[in-house]
Amino acid sequence: MTIDVAHQGGAVPAPSLRRRPNLLRRIVRHWNDYAYIAPAIVVMLLVIGYPIYYTVELSFFKTPPNLAMSQKVFVGFDNYRAILTSQSFRDVTYNTLIWTVVSTFFAYVLGLGAALALNREFLGRGVLRAVLLVPYVISAVAASYVWKWLYHSDFGVIGALSVQFGFTDEPINFLDNIYTALPSLIVVNIWKEFSFAMIMLLAGLQTVPDQLLRAAQVDGANTWQRFWHVTMPHLKGVSMVTILLLVVTNLNSFIIPWIMTGGGPAGATDIWITQIYQMAFGRIRFGMASAYSVILFIVMMALGYFYVKALTRGDEAKSE
Amino acid sequence: MAEVVLNEVVKTYGDIYAVNHVSLTVADGEFVALVGPSGCGKTTTLSLIAGLNEISGGEIHIGGRLVNDLDPKDRDIAMVFQNYALYPNKTVFKNLAFPLQMRKLAKAEIERKVLSAAKVLDITHLLERKPRELSGGQQQRVALGRALVRDPRVFLMDEPLSNLDAKLRVQMRTELKRFHQDLEATVVYVTHDQLEAVTMADKMAVMHGGFLQQYDSPKNVFDNPVNMFVASFVGSPAMSLVPLEAVSHGSDVALRSPEGWELPLSPQNARKALGATSNQVVLGARHSTVKLHSAQTPGAVPGVVYTVEPTGDITFVQVFLGTSVVIVSLDPSVTVHPDQKVWIEFDQDKIHLFDGATELALAAV
Repeated sequence: MTIDVAHQGGAVPAPSLRRRPNLLRRIVRHWNDYAYIAPAIVVMLLVIGYPIYYTVELSFFKTPPNLAMSQKVFVGFDNYRAILTSQSFRDVTYNTLIWTVVSTFFAYVLGLGAALALNREFLGRGVLRAVLLVPYVISAVAASYVWKWLYHSDFGVIGALSVQFGFTDEPINFLDNIYTALPSLIVVNIWKEFSFAMIMLLAGLQTVPDQLLRAAQVDGANTWQRFWHVTMPHLKGVSMVTILLLVVTNLNSFIIPWIMTGGGPAGATDIWITQIYQMAFGRIRFGMASAYSVILFIVMMALGYFYVKALTRGDEAKSE
Repeated sequence: MAEVVLNEVVKTYGDIYAVNHVSLTVADGEFVALVGPSGCGKTTTLSLIAGLNEISGGEIHIGGRLVNDLDPKDRDIAMVFQNYALYPNKTVFKNLAFPLQMRKLAKAEIERKVLSAAKVLDITHLLERKPRELSGGQQQRVALGRALVRDPRVFLMDEPLSNLDAKLRVQMRTELKRFHQDLEATVVYVTHDQLEAVTMADKMAVMHGGFLQQYDSPKNVFDNPVNMFVASFVGSPAMSLVPLEAVSHGSDVALRSPEGWELPLSPQNARKALGATSNQVVLGARHSTVKLHSAQTPGAVPGVVYTVEPTGDITFVQVFLGTSVVIVSLDPSVTVHPDQKVWIEFDQDKIHLFDGATELALAAV
C-alpha cells in the first residue's frame, strides 16, 4: 500500500505538450477508428448539437406568438440587450445566486457532517445511513408537493407546531411571503441535496489512511487538528467535484421552485430556469427565452472551465 | 530516555484475547524487538504502549509513570509506521515540523530542531519536497526524522522496513542500529522478520497467539528456545523438529521412530526425555549441528534426500526422516542428489528435546 493520494479527484488528463496534427488529417489517417464512433457522433449531433445550434439561432430573432417560425424577424442582439438591461433579469440573477450559493454551502456542510458521523462505528449506523439517503432517492416532484403541504398556512405541520410550542401566535405563511418564500425553498433544496454530498464525501473518507490519523494522534494533534491536517486534504478532490456538481444542479434548478411557488410571490422565488420556462411556454417568447438560455449556457461553460482547470492543476504539477 | 514496563497487559476484542497477560520490561536505552507471525499480537501490544488502543487490563509504565489513561500525545513517545505515514500534502520540512507545531513551540525553535534532525538523517536537501517525490528509503528517513525532532522518551517502530526492497532493507537496518547506538534511545520495534530482530535487538520478545512466549537476548532465544514455537520461528532455516517416542532399555533411553530405528540418548538427554509428561518427545536440531553421511555410520539414522538447495556458500539439504523433514547444511563441494539414501548424525550436546504433549522444552532434572 502506498500513501500517495494522487488522482482521487477525477482523472482529467493533462494536455499534451506536443502539438497535435489537425483534426481533418487525423480523421483521414485513422478513418476506420472514426467510423466506429460515427453513429454515436451522429446521434449526439442530432439530440444535443442541433438543439444548441437552434437555440443560438432563435436568440437573434423575434418570434411570433403563434409559433409560425417562418415569420420570425431577425433582430440581432436586441433580445440580449433587452434581457441584460431589464430589472427583472437583475432580480432573477440575484435570486439565483442566493439560491445556488446558500443551497450549495449548506448542502456541502451538512453532507460533510453526516459523512463524518457515519464514518465511525456505532449501533444503528446502517439504518441511519439508509434514512439519510431518503431525500436523495425520493422523487423531487413528490417531495415538493409534500413540503408544500408541510409549509401550508392552514393545514401545514410546521405552522401548527410553531403555534403549539409557542414560537408564533399564528401559523407563518411561509410560501406566500416575499421574505420567507425563497429561504423556505432553499431549506427544501438543502434537505434534498445534502445526502448527495454525504455519499460523495463518505466515499472520499474511505480514502483517508487510518495510519495517517494515528500518526497525527501520536504527533499530538487533537480531533479538530487531525480533521484539518489529515482528513480535509484527502477530501479536497472529492469536495471540488461535489461542489461543482451541486452548483451546476442548483443553477439548473426547476422542479422545487416551479411546483412549490411557480416563481412567486411577486417573483420572490423566480430563478433563471423558472424564468426561462415562463418566458418560453408561458408568454411564448421563444426568441427571448433562447437568448436567456444562451446567457445561462455561457455562464455555465465558464464555470465548468474554471473548475476543470482547478481540478487538473494539481495533476499537472504532479506530472512535472 | 526512559524505561517501559508492561505488567500483565491484556487487550480483548469481544471474547478474543489479542494480547494475553503480557509482562516485560524494556530497560532505558534498550532496543527490544517484538517478533511473531501475523496476528500474534505484536502490533496491538505496540499500539497499547502508544496509547492508540485502549488497554483492557494490566498496567503500562513509561519512565516510571502509569500511562494507562494518558493520550498518545501525553506519553512522550514517537512512532514510526510501516507505510511511513507521512502527510502527503505537506513538504518534508512541514512533516518534520508538525509534531512541534502541535506542541506550540516557537517558530525559530521549530526551525532549529527540524534542521538539526534533517542534518542527522542527511535529508537537508529534501526539505522542500513532497513525500511522493521521495524514494522509499528517503521517506523512511523522513518518518524517522519526524520521530526524532520530538526528542521522545521512547521510540516505537511498527515494521518500519517491510516496505523497502531487500537491498535497501539491509542498508536501513544498519542505519537504524547506528541511530539507536548514537542516540542511546529506548526502542520498541515490531517485526515479523526474525532476522531483523536477531540482528538489531538487544532483546527479543517472541509472541504467538497473544502470549509472550520468550523474552531474552537473541542469542539465548536462539540457543535455548523455551518451546517448539520459538524453536521453529527463530533461525533461518527453521529448526528441524522430529516427533519420536522415548523408550527405556534398562537404564538407557532411546528415541524410537515409527519406522523402527532408534536413537540412543546421552545420559543428560535421557534424563530430559524422562521428564516429559508422556513418552512423546520431539527432537529438535539446527541445520548446522547435523551431519550427513552417505554410508551407514554408528549412531546415525537413515533417511532419504528430498531437495538440494545451493545458496552459494552453503548448500541446504532437506532429508526425509520417515515423515519429518530435517534440514542439513553442507559445504557446496559435497554432492548429494534427490532420492539418495543417507544417514543423519545428531550432536547429542546440541540437540533440543521438547515434550510432545506440552510443546515445552525439556530441561535436565
